[in-house]
Amino acid sequence: MDDSLVPSPTIKRVVLDVLKPHQPTIPELASRIVSCNGANRVNVSLAEIDQNTESIKVQVEGSDINLETIRNCIEEMGATIHSVDEVEVARKV
Amino acid sequence: MEKYLEKFRFYLRLTGVSAISRRYFVMNAFDGALTALGVIIGAWTSGPVQPRTLIGAGLGVSLAMGISGFSGTYFVERAERLRKLEELEHSLLMDLHHSVHVKAQRTAMIWAALVNALSPSLAAVTAIVPFVFAHYGLISKNEAVIISLMLIFSLLFMIGVYLGKISRERVIISGIRIMVVGIITAALIMLLGNM
Repeated sequence: MDDSLVPSPTIKRVVLDVLKPHQPTIPELASRIVSCNGANRVNVSLAEIDQNTESIKVQVEGSDINLETIRNCIEEMGATIHSVDEVEVARKV
Repeated sequence: MEKYLEKFRFYLRLTGVSAISRRYFVMNAFDGALTALGVIIGAWTSGPVQPRTLIGAGLGVSLAMGISGFSGTYFVERAERLRKLEELEHSLLMDLHHSVHVKAQRTAMIWAALVNALSPSLAAVTAIVPFVFAHYGLISKNEAVIISLMLIFSLLFMIGVYLGKISRERVIISGIRIMVVGIITAALIMLLGNM
């Protein structure tokens, strides 16, 4: 089989470790991320709360997630990605 | 339009400026109303009231309070908010320059400054409106003074009602409480004016 015929993989799910200020709130941030191109579902859970910041786990699900777009959406809200903890990739069909 | 309004509300929520501007609004509307009260009763007790003089003095006071309110608040809020932004950048270890925070803080500075500028000015302008009618001979000078005082006391009462709503106290009591401050001020000015 010719390698060039294999469709490029797409990211279906990603779990991010994000540091955010208290404002905007988690629902506001989640709503912003889900409106990003490629994201269909967002799940956010609070991991740690500090004086000025909150550490959250953001799980993004979608048909074709673009990590750079998600990063831009998150940074636009004043939050920052610490690490990419999990990624689920599937071959395009 | 709806989109801009939603964004504006989001910025106000993000910066927490709503509570501060509420305080500014009450404090400065109170300031404006009492200043106008001082100008009107001071002029009234000093001799015959000339509507034109009172309109000029009132507008001057209103403009000065507006400019002072805007510039003072803008610079104070700017300093506070830039510091807050820097602290946040330090905590997040990132540059927030391209985030909503910078736009939101800028909006908050201008909003707080506008509230601070407009509330005393509007209160003072409201108080001199009857003198415009007196100037054109629609009402007498004494009537203008009485209507103006009634407007000021009503304004003070409304400020009290608003405060009562915020503190969830009895609004009538709260309104009367603020109005009494105006009455005491008026009495003191009259006493000094007649000395």
